[in-house]
Amino acid sequence: MADWLFEKDEYIPKEDKVKFIDKSILGFLNILSLIKRKASLSNGYVYSLNPVIKLGFTILIIIFLSLSRSFLFVWTVNVYLFLLLSSLNGEEIKDILKVSLIVPIFTIIILIPSILMGNKLNSLLMLSKIIGTIIAINMISYTTRWTHLTKALKLMCIPDVFILVFDITLKYIYILGEFSLEMLYALKLRSVGSNNNKYGSITGVIGGLFLKSKDMAEEMYSAMECRGFSGEYSSNIKFKFTFKDFMYCLLNTFIIGLYFYIGRM
Amino acid sequence: MIEIKNLNFKYKTNVALKDVSLKIREGESVALIGPNGSGKSTFLKLINGIVFGNSGSYIFDGEEITEKRLQDNRVSKLFHKRIGFVFQNSDAQLFCPNVYEEVAFGPRQMGMDDGEVDKRVRDCLKLLDIEKLKDREPYNLSGGEKRKVAIASVLSLNPEVLVLDEPMNGIDPKGKRFLRELILRLNKSGKTIICSTHDFEYVKGIFKRVVVFSEEHTILRDDAYDSVIGDEEFLIKHNIK
Repeated sequence: MADWLFEKDEYIPKEDKVKFIDKSILGFLNILSLIKRKASLSNGYVYSLNPVIKLGFTILIIIFLSLSRSFLFVWTVNVYLFLLLSSLNGEEIKDILKVSLIVPIFTIIILIPSILMGNKLNSLLMLSKIIGTIIAINMISYTTRWTHLTKALKLMCIPDVFILVFDITLKYIYILGEFSLEMLYALKLRSVGSNNNKYGSITGVIGGLFLKSKDMAEEMYSAMECRGFSGEYSSNIKFKFTFKDFMYCLLNTFIIGLYFYIGRM
Repeated sequence: MIEIKNLNFKYKTNVALKDVSLKIREGESVALIGPNGSGKSTFLKLINGIVFGNSGSYIFDGEEITEKRLQDNRVSKLFHKRIGFVFQNSDAQLFCPNVYEEVAFGPRQMGMDDGEVDKRVRDCLKLLDIEKLKDREPYNLSGGEKRKVAIASVLSLNPEVLVLDEPMNGIDPKGKRFLRELILRLNKSGKTIICSTHDFEYVKGIFKRVVVFSEEHTILRDDAYDSVIGDEEFLIKHNIK
């Protein structure tokens, strides 16, 4: 064994910027936690609704929200959405509200020229619609499992193969995300000095990721073939229709009905 | 060298480590055993400063390691240089275009001149008996070869503490015997070894001390290697053997 392995190094690291790796790590962690948070859902009202119904009505509400030109209707829907939102868990309410604040701020910035030209009312209407849409979308994403959402797509007449692709995509975003996170950790642990070629190391990580994903794709294809996959896939859905769902349907039908009374002006 | 006091760690709401206290002296060789999901890997990540406890403290060589402290670039680099981590998944650890570059990554970062880097790399390759793989791409290697390259790339930093996460996983018997000898030699050369493992047959004689993690994420027993491994009843009861 070499002598230097027996001795301790006298080493003092030089100053270097490593924010780059740290930021990438945080970014990955964030995306992963978005997918992972579906592991446990609470038993609240919105959580236990039938995903098919939830998805269907969310889409309808968003369509009618964007069609409407009436402040009264838009804000009735918004109030209704806020009410539903308030029945979620505290943490999630906080997260959703944060997003629904940030996005409208960007909208305002984009709309500034139009507001200055005197288009105040329309801009306000647009802003209100965006708030509603963001809350509706986030609510469904926070309260429904990904797997249930992709299954619910089946009822929207989306072919099974697409659903399969969605499922696999989600799974691999997660697996590859976790893998790249591990690679970034490894890079960080060995980045003990100054590295002028940071992007070079990151290309290494991306390259490794690509090769890994290629291997995994090939492996999965063989595994599917071995289990008799021949290009057809049928996804089964079994969701119950409960009293809660019935109430939800009623409420949403009422809201959509309102559109025809007050929303069309 | 390493001192952990009443440490707790949670992943969101999942408890991964519960009130863990442990002291590891310089030059020791410690095995971590326990069932799947008992918190061994989390513990290793914690020792390496990848994750940080929610409460309790971790002291490395007299200095407390906290997230805030490791935000100081120099502190964090010196810390990572002194403690090397061999990941369970070698693929994740290899990101350079060829084996030589992989092993040279650490020494080059430390600002050594080319001659010295070359010496270190060659010594490491020789130590792990992978000199002939020098110009190969890491992703084209076999599982055992990848593990060896990963170990070489960590050793080239000459860390004082070597942390290995299931090093024997997926390695053939010859490779396992080789790793066993290597770990023994490294320990004799004065390195502190911390290693999580499921494989008792091939690690016999390496470790003097065993720390057993329980399914409840606590430390169940911290004892001499022979006395724990000899206690068949205990091992079976706690889902280790």
